[in-house]
Amino acid sequence: MIRVAKITGMASALILAGLLPASAQEGVDKAKANIAAYSGVPEFVPAGEPFDAKACMAGKKIFTIPASSAIPFIKTISDHKSKLAAELGFDHMEWENQGNPTQWIQGMDFAANNGFDLVSLLAGADPRFFEPQVLQTQAKGVKVVTSHLTGLEQDAPAGVDAAIAIDYRKAGELMADWTIAKTEGKTNALVVVSNEALSTDSIVSGLTEAFETRCPDCKYEIVNVPITDWATKIQPTVAGALQANADLNYVIPIYDSMSTFVTPAIAIAGRGDKVKVATFNGTPFVLDLIRASDVEMDIGENLDWIAHAMLDAEMRLLCGKETIRDSKVPLRVFDAANIAEVGAPADAAKGYGDAYVAEYRKLWQIAE
Amino acid sequence: MSRLGHQLERFGLLLVWLAVIALFGAMRPDTFLSWSNFSSIFGSEAVLVIVTLGLIIPLTAGDFDLSIAQTLTFVSMLTALLSARMGVELGYVIPIALAAGACVGLVNGAITLYFRVHSLIVTLGVGTFLHGVTLWMSDSQTISGVSRALMQYVIINRIAGIPISFYYAIALAALVWYLLSYTAFGQQLLFTGRGRDVGRLTGVAVGRVRMSAFVASGVLGAIAGILYTGTTGSANPTSGTTLLLPAFAAAFLGATCIKPGRFNAWGSVIAVYFLVTGINGLSVLGFRTYVHDLFYGGALVVAVMISQLVSGRKERVL
Repeated sequence: MIRVAKITGMASALILAGLLPASAQEGVDKAKANIAAYSGVPEFVPAGEPFDAKACMAGKKIFTIPASSAIPFIKTISDHKSKLAAELGFDHMEWENQGNPTQWIQGMDFAANNGFDLVSLLAGADPRFFEPQVLQTQAKGVKVVTSHLTGLEQDAPAGVDAAIAIDYRKAGELMADWTIAKTEGKTNALVVVSNEALSTDSIVSGLTEAFETRCPDCKYEIVNVPITDWATKIQPTVAGALQANADLNYVIPIYDSMSTFVTPAIAIAGRGDKVKVATFNGTPFVLDLIRASDVEMDIGENLDWIAHAMLDAEMRLLCGKETIRDSKVPLRVFDAANIAEVGAPADAAKGYGDAYVAEYRKLWQIAE
Repeated sequence: MSRLGHQLERFGLLLVWLAVIALFGAMRPDTFLSWSNFSSIFGSEAVLVIVTLGLIIPLTAGDFDLSIAQTLTFVSMLTALLSARMGVELGYVIPIALAAGACVGLVNGAITLYFRVHSLIVTLGVGTFLHGVTLWMSDSQTISGVSRALMQYVIINRIAGIPISFYYAIALAALVWYLLSYTAFGQQLLFTGRGRDVGRLTGVAVGRVRMSAFVASGVLGAIAGILYTGTTGSANPTSGTTLLLPAFAAAFLGATCIKPGRFNAWGSVIAVYFLVTGINGLSVLGFRTYVHDLFYGGALVVAVMISQLVSGRKERVL
């Protein structure tokens, strides 16, 4: 009986041993395929059917409240929306602000009292901070939407009419996949997050799922550093993790502006050769850090493409078309191999091709 | 107060620092007590040491310089723009950056002295103005691509495994210590801080001394800005501003040791590294970041309370 059990045990161990490497290798292959799929110039995918945007938007007004006009990433999207609105012949106004929620509330009141048809809370103006004002504005017949705030799987927050989302989950997945592919399934990572940002949940869920499903041998630790503490806490946190974990091979700051404080910690610890940085956002200065070999990979989005996609979804809502959740804004993986395509110094709109410009005009029926 | 009590007060913070090292060392001897960890602790906060040194000079003269963190950020951005965007050689960038810091100090001093406005208000206003200038000239962007040579002379080159910026900070601390303790200017600063009228009556040129303190603070802020750019390899228009409160905490904590009751250079250095050691130990042990704040705030208040208890003084200058 004991012998039978031993034989069965050995057989199971052999089968398991045979299966595990195959499964682990499968995960690595899947990760590599995922990275390859997102490393080229992205293709345009329309979010809905073509419609006559010029005709249906005649006389309508859109009001955009950016999270902060002082953040170039957001300001650029907002400015590009204004240019597109002018091309389509309707009014668009940006509420200039410095990222203060009281200024967002003033903007909501202004939009409600000045005949706007839709308020777009852009890239971080979080309606959970001013839910009563959202309700008051909606009561006056104004649609309120969040643009570039939530992930595809997240519901519209604070009762807004629509949440035009980005595939943050995929961004999280790609960051994990990059490290899985590069380490052949031996990732040992420190993941730096900021929990107060709504997109963090979505990014982290994609990242953890990729590790759990594709990489049985990968290890990772998630640490939260609030946005206001980035300058003072990221560096000591990373330095501490580098000391505590001699096998660390990746730091994943999920927002690439964190990289400013991650790279000095790695340099001071003298671990630049072994510990790499993989991140998300495509902010120009971080793309430049790829060229300097301080950051290994950055997942980017095209700001002009975002402006087109957000306005497309907002116009569809005002024109009585379908409510868009997936804005179809593509992501692209940038590393040393394709970094030359973004220019030097890097330009946030370069490296994504320009086919989308003509495609959107066809979609809006203002060009053949 | 007994001689033992006095010595305890002078070296209390140093003893607490050693106790903190022993505590974390006992908990994680393999990683916390490694030389690479101490290299990280010493090499990572040279900028904060220099900002703290910059604060204690006007503080000794009874003035506040709330603009020093903005001077740091402004000079950091100026350095990055000149180096990365305009291709200016470091040999020219550094004197220009230092001159910019001195100018900020001159403006602070001139407005404070000529219009007789409290330095707290003047430096708050000048700092906010500088923040606006920094945002404007950088277009709110982080500027990278700074000459690699600057990083080489700040964090890449090492002596005994510790980045060279640490030695700059220690050299500046020695300079400030000598200046405050062994020069006529140091004594004049102290007289000015303790009572301006008394200073005037004893022949101290109070205005000139205060102006010099502001300029020195501006120059130290500028040095910190250059090193900040060298540490990160880039300049961010906002991040340096968060160093103001930690620097004030270190300045006041430092005034509880070595020369209790006086802002002093070595006390400030010990205070910075005491705080950094605590934060590093908590990070190595894997504590969440809010615990850092508990340590930072708690250590400051407890150290000042203990210092007061040990000294047994009814009333202190601080």
